[in-house]
Amino acid sequence: MKQQNVLEISGLDVSLPTGDRILSGVDLAIGGGRILGVIGESGAGKSMIGACIADTLPDALAVSAGSIEFDGLPLGSMTRATRRDLLGRDIGFIPQEPMTALNPALTIGQQFGSHLARIGFRWPKERKERTIQLLEDVHLPRSRELLSHYPHQLSGGMLQRVLIAMAFASNPKLVVADEPTTALDVTIQARVAELIARMVETHGASVLFITHDLCLAADLCDEVAVLYAGRIVESGAAETIIGSPAHPYSRCLSLATPTLSGPPRPLLTLPGTMPSALERSVMAGCELAPRCPVAEMRCHTDKPLLASTTTGHRSACHFPERVSAIQAPAEEPQAAAREPGPDVVLRAEGLAKTYIARDWIGRMRRVEALRGLDFEVREGEFVGVVGESGSGKSTLTKLILGLEDVTTGRLDAAGFAGSDRSAATLRALRAQVQLVFQDPQSALNPRRSIGSLVTQSLEVRAERPSRAARSAIARDLLAKVLLPPDVIDRFPDQLSGGQKQRVNIARALCSNPRLLVADEIVSGLDVSVQAQILELLKALREEAAISLLLISHDLAVVRHICDRTVVMFRGEIVEQGPVEEVFGNPRHDYTRALVAAAQGGTSLRKTMSQSQ
Amino acid sequence: MPVFAVVSMLVFLALRVLPVDPAQMSLPPSATIEQVEAKRIEMGLTKPVWEQYAVWLGSAVRGDFGESAQYRMPTSTLVLQRLPATIELATCALAFAIVFGVAMGLLIFAARGTVLASAGMVVTSVIMALPDFLLALLFILLLGVLMPLFPVNGRLAPGLSVPDLTGFLLVDTLAAGEPRLFLNALSHMALPVLALGLAFSPAIIRVLHSSLVATYQQSYIRQARLRGLSDRSILFGQALKNAILPVVVLVGTQFGGLFGGTLLVELIFSYPGLGNLMLRAMQTVDLNVIMAVALIYCATTLIFNSLADAGVYLLNPRLRS
Ligand SMILES: Nc1ncnc2c1ncn2[C@@H]1O[C@H](COP(=O)(O)OP(=O)(O)O)[C@@H](O)[C@H]1O
Ligand code: SF4
Ligand SMILES: [Mg+2]
Repeated sequence: MKQQNVLEISGLDVSLPTGDRILSGVDLAIGGGRILGVIGESGAGKSMIGACIADTLPDALAVSAGSIEFDGLPLGSMTRATRRDLLGRDIGFIPQEPMTALNPALTIGQQFGSHLARIGFRWPKERKERTIQLLEDVHLPRSRELLSHYPHQLSGGMLQRVLIAMAFASNPKLVVADEPTTALDVTIQARVAELIARMVETHGASVLFITHDLCLAADLCDEVAVLYAGRIVESGAAETIIGSPAHPYSRCLSLATPTLSGPPRPLLTLPGTMPSALERSVMAGCELAPRCPVAEMRCHTDKPLLASTTTGHRSACHFPERVSAIQAPAEEPQAAAREPGPDVVLRAEGLAKTYIARDWIGRMRRVEALRGLDFEVREGEFVGVVGESGSGKSTLTKLILGLEDVTTGRLDAAGFAGSDRSAATLRALRAQVQLVFQDPQSALNPRRSIGSLVTQSLEVRAERPSRAARSAIARDLLAKVLLPPDVIDRFPDQLSGGQKQRVNIARALCSNPRLLVADEIVSGLDVSVQAQILELLKALREEAAISLLLISHDLAVVRHICDRTVVMFRGEIVEQGPVEEVFGNPRHDYTRALVAAAQGGTSLRKTMSQSQ
Repeated sequence: MPVFAVVSMLVFLALRVLPVDPAQMSLPPSATIEQVEAKRIEMGLTKPVWEQYAVWLGSAVRGDFGESAQYRMPTSTLVLQRLPATIELATCALAFAIVFGVAMGLLIFAARGTVLASAGMVVTSVIMALPDFLLALLFILLLGVLMPLFPVNGRLAPGLSVPDLTGFLLVDTLAAGEPRLFLNALSHMALPVLALGLAFSPAIIRVLHSSLVATYQQSYIRQARLRGLSDRSILFGQALKNAILPVVVLVGTQFGGLFGGTLLVELIFSYPGLGNLMLRAMQTVDLNVIMAVALIYCATTLIFNSLADAGVYLLNPRLRS
């Protein structure tokens, strides 16, 4: 008899009341003790799979076809109460946002205790001892003390460990982990992923591991399934998903991901965006066809079905043999040899910032946010600032933009001394130094058209250009950031995240700045969108001789577009230099830890960079 | 404290601006102009207003609010006699409002999506539209006159009395070992408490309901459900402790309104508390009494504001560290 799968999903459809499908024909199977990765970009429908298993689909959505069998039993035929009873006992869940997944008003001990009570630990003393032991199993130090702590007193990484311990407390058969490391600081992502792998081993659970990170899935999982537009486009062994993908989409995703090792190369950019459920309903052929680099006529008319390929994967593509023909674009020769100009656009000398904070009883405390920073950004140079959250990156941004006073040292931005904070200087400074925010939405007034948003800074000028002139400028800027001209009359809500971020960049370019300060501008975006933005920034450098200070937690991104990098740790610069040197041969311990964390310390990522 | 000083000053000034002469008020109508003049000097009324205020404040902080012009006894004694009745009334009304409001809020929320919930919301809106004194009149009509279940006058049936121990009848009757008197006092309180408490409850119901709705959108509730916790333990064990915070703030900031509501309700039920004292004092322009009672209203409001702050602080661990 064939060994029974712990989870078997077949032909699963999830539909809107209109009949448009969010998931179509999803087949997944997880054997005992195996980890299945579900990879896909945001909106692909990954979380909906977990919601189907937990019976927590949003009100508007419903399973319209297919079945889910858990441990041989069809979930669809069970009562709500029975299904509910499986949760937390036989099926554990690890959430995406550990910071908000625990109740802020209850202690860790109380929450863990109520979970243990629910899974059958009758006595408080027994629960307490068990909690302590489980917390020790996930390597939480001083676990006895943690019991009386509230969630806000713990870091995201610690909270995720608590949640992992909870998920495994009942020895569940299946654990669903929905992007469990996405919200964590880079330096701990790898460790948390490792912890999950180890827990799976000791508890013998099977895992449905949902992620947007191809490399992470390749590291951690036994099998992977790639989800695009609600459909599984490829499934197979995890080790080969990066090295020999059998579907153009998987190949494109990996070519769009910047890497930290291997020769530097431009990123592949997929045109357009993933079709929505509505758009998919009227597509006769392959959902990827409009964006696929190797599509043919047939792709637009025939839907490809999942079928086995020579690589041992199953791929939903008419031409799986063409996958290896997809290559990243070649580096333009002059780009590699580019030298920064002689002018210094940004210079910090002994820059320091100290905040005076008051605690709740009014005691004063000095917080040294930045200490003795020395660095410069030359004309046309791209410099990446890396470091974990709390290392002072945001404080630095505020100082550069003149939003706060420099405590000691010098800071000259675009020729303006940071100590001069007269209104006129600040206004001139703002024209020369522009900021692009992390959240593409927050900076855009939803009631203004894209055209007027892009040229908003011209409206306050004394010699304000005419409406027609402004709209010409807007059209120019939108073309520069590769947005179609018709977005000029649209509103922010009608654009995708990546498009909004381009609008923000166009807006920043409006005053012809010399320096762009970009605070984590790609961190919320999907890899394919991220690749588009990064390549756009590179193109702008060739064209506009602009300098960029890119603040990012992602070393691979920095390596990909920056010339030099500045590594910050606890308010100080611990290392700086050309990206290849710093990341290739890190000298400071902290840089080494960052690089190791980013590489995940596995051989798989090396395979990835070699295969390209 | 600074708030208190400002309020007392405002009340003092407002009363001094009134076109009445305290000296004349405190003398029989037959008093001559010379006698009134002498009294004015004796009472310090010829001094500048700020000096009068300083003198008044000086004795007020020592608990001396002067003499009541009408009752011819120290204002403080008078107020202390009446205060327990009003505190008893307001406390019971508040307790009723909280118990009823929280229960209804939970019920309507638990029944969300059903007809029951919509009906509950309609009833809540209707009660919300009725002010406390109107509810009082309605109850008198319904439960006092048409269906005379409860007395509508005073604190005890005529002829009954209890030894005055604390001034709180519910306490004193029990202390005296008189359950019959206790029930009698209780039945006298029923309608005023119902009127005041019911008028206050819709705010609690609404705030609790919408705060529960917001809480249920939080991801820790979703996560609790994914751990298989039952609806009941999610509501009581997880959501309520967070959702109750806005209710605590509401009670703290709005209690002043309930306390002020005793004024008219006491009048309607001839309930011998501060409210009736205040109304009499106003009719007779008994300035010292008005002043003292006004300050008590103000102090109660401030005290409850601080209590709410303390409550929120205790319930919200994020504020504590
Ligand atoms: N409440 C809802 N009503 C309608 N559509 C929804 C709802 N929630 C999610 N969707 C749609 O379902 C799709 C899949 O969402 P999701 O599973 O969250 O994607 P992922 O987890 O892969 O980022 C999205 O396109 C989204 O628009
Ligand atoms: S079927 Fe055609 S469009 Fe779809 S992935 Fe394959 S080649 Fe591309
Ligand atoms: Mg998701």
